Amino acid sequence: MKEKKEEIFGQDIRVKNANLWYGDFHALKGVSMEIPARAVTAFIGPSGCGKSTFLKCFNRMNDLVSGCKITGEFRIGETDIYDKTTDINALRKSVGMVFQKPNPFPMSVYDNIAYGPRTFGIRKRAELDEIVESSLRASATWEELKDRLHDSATGLSGGQQQRLCIARALAVQPKIILMDEPTSALDPISTGKIEELCEELKKDTTIVVVTHNMQQATRISDKTGFFLLGELVEYGDTEEIFSSPKDERTERYITGRFG
Amino acid sequence: MTKVKEKIGRAVFAVSAGICILAVVAIFVFLLAKSAPAFAKIGVFNFVFGDTWLPSSSDSYNAPLSGEYGVFTMIVGTLATTVGALAFGGVLGYFTAVFLVFFCPNGLKKVLSSAIGVLAGIPSVVYGFFGVQFLLPILALFAPNNGAGLLATSLVLGLMILPTVVSLSKTSLESVPRAYYEGAVAMGATHTQAVFKTVVPAARSGIVASLVLGVGRALGETMAVVMIAGNSATYPSGLFGSFRVLTANIVLEMGYAGEVQEGALVATGVVLLVFVLLVNILFSLLSARAVKRAVKKTKNKKSRPRVGMRIRDFFGNLAYRMKSSSIGKGTAIFSGTFTALTLVCIVGFVLIKGLPHVTPHFLFGKFVFGSENITIFTSIVTTLMAIALSLAVAVPLGVMTAIFLHEYTAKENLFVRIVRGAIDILGGVPSIVYGLFGLITFVRLFGGTSSILAGGLTVSVMLLPTIVRSTEESLRAVSDSLREGSYALGAGKLRTVFKIVLPSALGGILSAIVLAMGRVVSESAPFLYTAGSVIWAMPTSYADNGATLAVAMYRLAGEGWHTNEAYATAVVLVGIVLILNLLAGFVAKKLQKKWNGEKR
Ligand SMILES: Nc1ncnc2c1ncn2[C@@H]1O[C@H](COP(=O)(O)OP(=O)(O)OP(=O)(O)O)[C@@H](O)[C@H]1O
Ligand SMILES: [Mg+2]
Repeated sequence: MKEKKEEIFGQDIRVKNANLWYGDFHALKGVSMEIPARAVTAFIGPSGCGKSTFLKCFNRMNDLVSGCKITGEFRIGETDIYDKTTDINALRKSVGMVFQKPNPFPMSVYDNIAYGPRTFGIRKRAELDEIVESSLRASATWEELKDRLHDSATGLSGGQQQRLCIARALAVQPKIILMDEPTSALDPISTGKIEELCEELKKDTTIVVVTHNMQQATRISDKTGFFLLGELVEYGDTEEIFSSPKDERTERYITGRFG
Repeated sequence: MTKVKEKIGRAVFAVSAGICILAVVAIFVFLLAKSAPAFAKIGVFNFVFGDTWLPSSSDSYNAPLSGEYGVFTMIVGTLATTVGALAFGGVLGYFTAVFLVFFCPNGLKKVLSSAIGVLAGIPSVVYGFFGVQFLLPILALFAPNNGAGLLATSLVLGLMILPTVVSLSKTSLESVPRAYYEGAVAMGATHTQAVFKTVVPAARSGIVASLVLGVGRALGETMAVVMIAGNSATYPSGLFGSFRVLTANIVLEMGYAGEVQEGALVATGVVLLVFVLLVNILFSLLSARAVKRAVKKTKNKKSRPRVGMRIRDFFGNLAYRMKSSSIGKGTAIFSGTFTALTLVCIVGFVLIKGLPHVTPHFLFGKFVFGSENITIFTSIVTTLMAIALSLAVAVPLGVMTAIFLHEYTAKENLFVRIVRGAIDILGGVPSIVYGLFGLITFVRLFGGTSSILAGGLTVSVMLLPTIVRSTEESLRAVSDSLREGSYALGAGKLRTVFKIVLPSALGGILSAIVLAMGRVVSESAPFLYTAGSVIWAMPTSYADNGATLAVAMYRLAGEGWHTNEAYATAVVLVGIVLILNLLAGFVAKKLQKKWNGEKR
């Protein structure tokens, strides 16, 4: 049963002609994009251009917004994720998400990480213990938190909280991880740790990260997409985008002349 | 599998919400069905505008009437004392709110605010008793009678609506954008001028709404008025002189009413309900406008010049207005002090008179029928039973309805709007009307005699709107980022609600439950004819009847020769209310801390 679900989803994302409306507001305009597996892809663009909106299409978080209408084709592997038969909860299990502001649940570190596995029926203490440890190790937080597993997660520092949230996402073994400005609320040291983590994680997972920080995009991403007013202006290898952008608007943005 | 579960969950929540609608429908249907024959027999016009009330308990629907059934004197009496209450409590409440928000030192503000919370929780029988024992003797010095009448009821009712007015006015004063005040001060206005000329006018519609809500409360108040109005079915004549209000009519005669008389009393409840509903509609219109204005204002905030211009307009005739401002400040400070003193006075008076009579025997002794050695142990037991039952019904229903409203309805569709309307109506129905409703439904259903079961169910309906509203409030306070975090991990709605949202909202919900307990303890009107008023018999099951503490207090106070015991019961009631209020605050704070990251 579990095996089968994992087969359903691949790891690369292919989007064809995506349009999205919030009520009357046309927030995404004909976006097409192929996001490769086991790589870091960054979305950049000025505030309000639709980066988060696009990102949230991949785990169908926009379904929670009333009045939101989506057209176009979103495929992960071979699966059409907006198909009527798609199990949204299974989708979200495969496509983890880390938010801009760390949002640990008001419970212990342990329970935070165990929340996802428990959702999918894992109850055995030994099994959970193992998941908690491996997730914390994978998010480079185990050494710091192994003695505080039963402290409240809301008492951690911002950086620790964010890495806990990453660990929490990892605990259900996602194939893809979406990160929406994961470091914008953090100090440089915590930011560095999370960037290193991305490098590590992309060995097994596909990572899509929204960032306002150009340096961050060049440091961690393999591919970069530049958004403007709901459109994908340019998309390609990060090196190329930043060294020789094809579109004038991209150039103006990355050289800091608007936005 | 999970899909089915989610569907069932949603259905269960929707059904709870539906029960709220059902409750409103049932109240209207039963009251109308019961009063329709009386309206028909007496004639609607004669009933409403007739000014003689001389019921005959032998009147029946299939014989000519020998009594007269006109409630116009009571309509006039109700309206007159409502106006009086508004003139006293409304004004006092408004200025107290201004005092609290703008002229009160911070430490005192907290104390006074929670004191006003206590004032809201004091049972209406205690207010009535305070009126009888403290106010009437003072008024009697100036009055041609024992002091009963319009002045006494207006003063006591005024105190009772004060907390409502204060808390709502306070909220709307606090929600005026800070920029208003700062703008005015920057233009050279003093603190007092800025408050009265800029902030208060901006909060006006919210303040008016608070007064209207106070009116709703005054219209429906029963026990306190019954104890000090005199109750003869005549027009109120001047400040003193016995008169009767609509609610009193029901309480006074329901116990021994004949056939037509009973119909006429239910009809009295219908008339009362109509008044209260009109007031509530007015209130929703006003508060909708207040919200609209507030929204408009925050939009305007960006364009400062506009505010500035308005202030300059004020500025032109500021010299002229300065005088009234400082009068306003004086009144505000006086009102705040007066309110605080009144609270001290009521609580102090009750404690001093009653404490000596609160003995272990009085609280826990066995009451022998016919004995003069009164104890309230049976009432304590009855009250606990009533609390347990009404909470057991109202809390699950109310919490589930709130979950439905807040977690399951992104859009305000028709059903949701009806549910909200139903809850608003339930919140406005006077407690005596709940009593009537319980009498003609639950009491009839369980064999025609009052029982704690009938009383508890009646009150559970009454608690529903408070629990729904405060639960929704607590759910609203839970950050959406937590919900998103849960959904993003693949959790379904039910799991998110039960594992993440409800635990985070627990503090607010529990403190609402504690306050609901206080409500059960302090209400008497809805229990009087549903649970009964027997003090001496120990209830052995929910099928037995019994007097809750507040009802017992009404009986003891009314009989005249058990005044000491009445004082002692008042002490117990006030003590319980105080403890529950403190507990509610404590529970909310404690749990809040826990969930907001206190280390274990
Ligand atoms: N729930 C919503 N309802 C209506 N409009 C929305 C909603 N969420 C976003 N929008 C609008 O859609 C547009 C894109 O928003 P989005 O959050 O995707 O931008 P963004 O690129 O992530 O910006 P930022 O860098 O500030 O996070 C904005 O104009 C925003 O106002
Ligand atoms: Mg964003």
